[in-house]
Amino acid sequence: MKLVLENITKVFPNRNKGEEDVVAVNNFSFEIPDGKLVGLLGPSGCGKSTTLYMICGLQKPSGGKIFFGEEDVTNLPPEHRGVGLVFQNYALYPHMTVRQNILYPLQNLKGDDKLSKEEMLKRTLEVAKLVQIDNLLDRKPSELSGGQQQRVAIARALVKMPRVLLLDEPLSNLDARLRLQTREEIRRIQKETGITTVFVTHDQEEAMSISDMIVVMKLGIVQQIGQPQRVYDDPANLFVAKFLGTPPINVLKGEVRGGMLFIGEEAILPVKGVADQPVTVGIRPEGFVLDERGPLHCQLSGVEVMGRDVSVVATHEASLNPVIRSIISAESGVDTTAQEIRYSLKPHKVLLFHAETEERIPVEV
Amino acid sequence: MVDSKQQWKAWIYLAPAIVLLLVFTVWPIINTVIMAFQNDYNAMAAVGGQTFTIGIENFKRAVEYRNFLTCLKNTALLCVITVPASTLLALLISAALNSIGPLKKALTTVFFLPYVTNSIAIGMVFAAMFNMVRTVRVVQTAGIINNVIMFFGGEPINWINAGSTYWANMTVMIIYIIWNALPFKILILLGGMQSINKQYYDAAKVDGSSRSRILWRITVPLLSPMIAYVVITGFIGGFKEYTSIVGVFGETMGPVSDKGRLNTMVGYIYDTLPRSDYGRASAAALILFGIILVVTLINLWVSKKRVHY
Amino acid sequence: MASVTMKEQDMRSVTARSRAGSVLAKGMTYLFLMVMALIVLFPFYWMINSSLKTLAEYRLSVPTFWPKTVIWSNYAEAFTTARLGQLFLNTLLVGVVSTLLSLVITVLSAFAFARLEFKGKNVMFGALLATMMIPGELFTITNYRTVNDFGWLNTYTVLIVPFLVSVCYIYLLRQNFLQIPNELYLAAKVDGTSDFKYLWTVMIPLSLPTLISITILKMMGAWNSYIWPRLVANDAAHQMVTNGLRNAFKDAAGDQTNYPVQMAAVALVSFPLFLVYIFLRKYIMKGVSRSGIKG
Repeated sequence: MKLVLENITKVFPNRNKGEEDVVAVNNFSFEIPDGKLVGLLGPSGCGKSTTLYMICGLQKPSGGKIFFGEEDVTNLPPEHRGVGLVFQNYALYPHMTVRQNILYPLQNLKGDDKLSKEEMLKRTLEVAKLVQIDNLLDRKPSELSGGQQQRVAIARALVKMPRVLLLDEPLSNLDARLRLQTREEIRRIQKETGITTVFVTHDQEEAMSISDMIVVMKLGIVQQIGQPQRVYDDPANLFVAKFLGTPPINVLKGEVRGGMLFIGEEAILPVKGVADQPVTVGIRPEGFVLDERGPLHCQLSGVEVMGRDVSVVATHEASLNPVIRSIISAESGVDTTAQEIRYSLKPHKVLLFHAETEERIPVEV
Repeated sequence: MVDSKQQWKAWIYLAPAIVLLLVFTVWPIINTVIMAFQNDYNAMAAVGGQTFTIGIENFKRAVEYRNFLTCLKNTALLCVITVPASTLLALLISAALNSIGPLKKALTTVFFLPYVTNSIAIGMVFAAMFNMVRTVRVVQTAGIINNVIMFFGGEPINWINAGSTYWANMTVMIIYIIWNALPFKILILLGGMQSINKQYYDAAKVDGSSRSRILWRITVPLLSPMIAYVVITGFIGGFKEYTSIVGVFGETMGPVSDKGRLNTMVGYIYDTLPRSDYGRASAAALILFGIILVVTLINLWVSKKRVHY
Repeated sequence: MASVTMKEQDMRSVTARSRAGSVLAKGMTYLFLMVMALIVLFPFYWMINSSLKTLAEYRLSVPTFWPKTVIWSNYAEAFTTARLGQLFLNTLLVGVVSTLLSLVITVLSAFAFARLEFKGKNVMFGALLATMMIPGELFTITNYRTVNDFGWLNTYTVLIVPFLVSVCYIYLLRQNFLQIPNELYLAAKVDGTSDFKYLWTVMIPLSLPTLISITILKMMGAWNSYIWPRLVANDAAHQMVTNGLRNAFKDAAGDQTNYPVQMAAVALVSFPLFLVYIFLRKYIMKGVSRSGIKG
């Protein structure tokens, strides 16, 4: 099922009289092709959960339209949209067994959709098998681990065979090891069912790792939409560049003069087709190459060993962050006793941004 | 998420409660004030279409009525004596309960038992315990309490029978009311003590504080919000004292020789009702409300100064 | 070396002394609690002891602490003298009906206050709580008139209807409802659950302990009510148990009263309460401590 948002806006009236209303989502448009897994990504308060609730129907948009396929569902209540929602804290009914929890949505079906008791139990078992909890059906939620509860919540959302599956911060209540495992699981379930799925997260790694598409949001405004790798490689602005990637991108003050990028007085890279101007330079940690004759001089402050790679921590007076962090293969042999370290840079890992608007400045290749 | 559908649905859910409250709570409040401030208000005359002048005549009549001062005195005395006494006793019992291991649960169960009793019924038991049975002039049984007094070499006392003294009557009532008031206070205070962080006690033990010092210097200050709560509810309840006296003395509200001697404010109001003198009854009810309000405010004021959070 | 030993001995005697002190304190604590427990229990014991004696034995100048001959017939006599059968039935009827209706009203109101959004919600709730501060006696005068005007005097209605709404219980249940995470409600909404079904299948089961507390306290309230029934329904047909008991033995401190029979009646009225207490103590104590309902 294709999912289309058209100029969606959500305004919450301010409770304190006389103060401005809060615009949670501002003029949001995008289209999710059928059967894709999409991550809504952004820091807290960016409007991603509100967007999810509007797709689900728990909140009504103040303006704009929502389509499932060709059907306008903007004014449809949640139960008529055919959506499944998985809550951050799972929202399992604590007094019901796993089986009763999964059955519960089916028992609400009315009219033509009404199912026989056998049919309901059959569907429950099928979906329980899909998420691999069919051996836990008679337990109460309190007797399950966090990961198992998550699966039950997904099963409950899927049992009605929704057109769209929505997940609100699905991994945030799990420990690190389970998180890795569960995100693979979500990916598998989504692939197997082929249901168009939208999930919300503030964790960029999580979003990048399993999504077909990510939507980066900030303060109610969509910053960029695209495939994870494309967004990472080609961010629309400094916010997106900073938000994606661990360790985060290094940001330095720079200037373009005569088609050449300068950091301080050092000529770093030729940048074709960029007018002379002060710029903000973003350099991905993996964009540094150790080079005794490299143009970027940094003061070395430490080396963190991470196994395959090392993380070199250095400082530079033009840096807008306290340190510059680069990721370098452990075999390249960093001299940890040196005072100074010199880098050359991989051109496609160096991104230029307008110094004031923070918009991306394209560089001709 | 507020839509108009939820608006009217909410009011449907609330409708039964609102209707009943309007009839049996809101209207009575308004009407009581109206009746109280109409001079010599009389229900019969009001139905007949008579109008009344506005004034405070009812309050004057209420205060001047023959047993008003007796009722006020009884109520106030019982309050002033039983509330502090029962609070102190409840505090000691709670502290003792909180400090023991074995039998704690069983004893807590015993101490809460009086809460679930019928105060008229157990009042009758207290009457039996204090009652002297005489035929003509010979005392047949002096009652178990007097038996105990005599066992220790004392003289039997006429507690509640004809010819008993006022203070003998009051003593019985004070004992019964304290007995009755203990369980609620113990429940609240013990609950409060159990929620006090154990680290305070460990710290005090490391400092070598004595048990009584721990009680008065740590437990009581940390418990002061709960103590304030039981004192305030105790005073509010105390000013409404009535059924416990009915339990012991019957509706005569005193020994046969001196009926009405132990009447209270609530009793005063109820006695007025069958006479249809609603003006005076309303005035008395407002006076009672005023007293409770003032006492509660004083309590709050004192506790604000003394309660440590 | 010698001085060290001295110190150790000192220490040992100090610990021994403090241990002895704490044993003594423990002993005193238990003694105090035992004496107080006996005082608390004594009236119940005396009630049962007296209720099983002959009148002659009761009147002995030296009391017996257990009846020489146990007279069970006192209970039968009490049952007929005080018409306890009729009183029990009346009270049970009033108690059950008013508890059921009151539960319905309380659940609906608490749900509206906890889960629904409507204009004036906070003002309404504040006003409701404010009525708790006003002594009930203030309502009684007008209510007495109102029920009189309605022609309800000496009916079951007058014993049931006026006190169906208890702000205290609405407050208690609303607090309980608020503890149920809002996500459960939203999850149910996504599945198309109606408010009513959600209330019935999720909120009520999850608040069952509180509802049980309310039920017990409400039933106990009916069992122990005295003032209002005396005013409005003191006729033989509708009399409640406490009123009947008091009326059957009017002369509390008289010389001729058959105390054993009276104590048997008192015991019969008290036993149901003891049974409830023994089996449902947990709910009573929780309900009382949370709602602060006193007597």
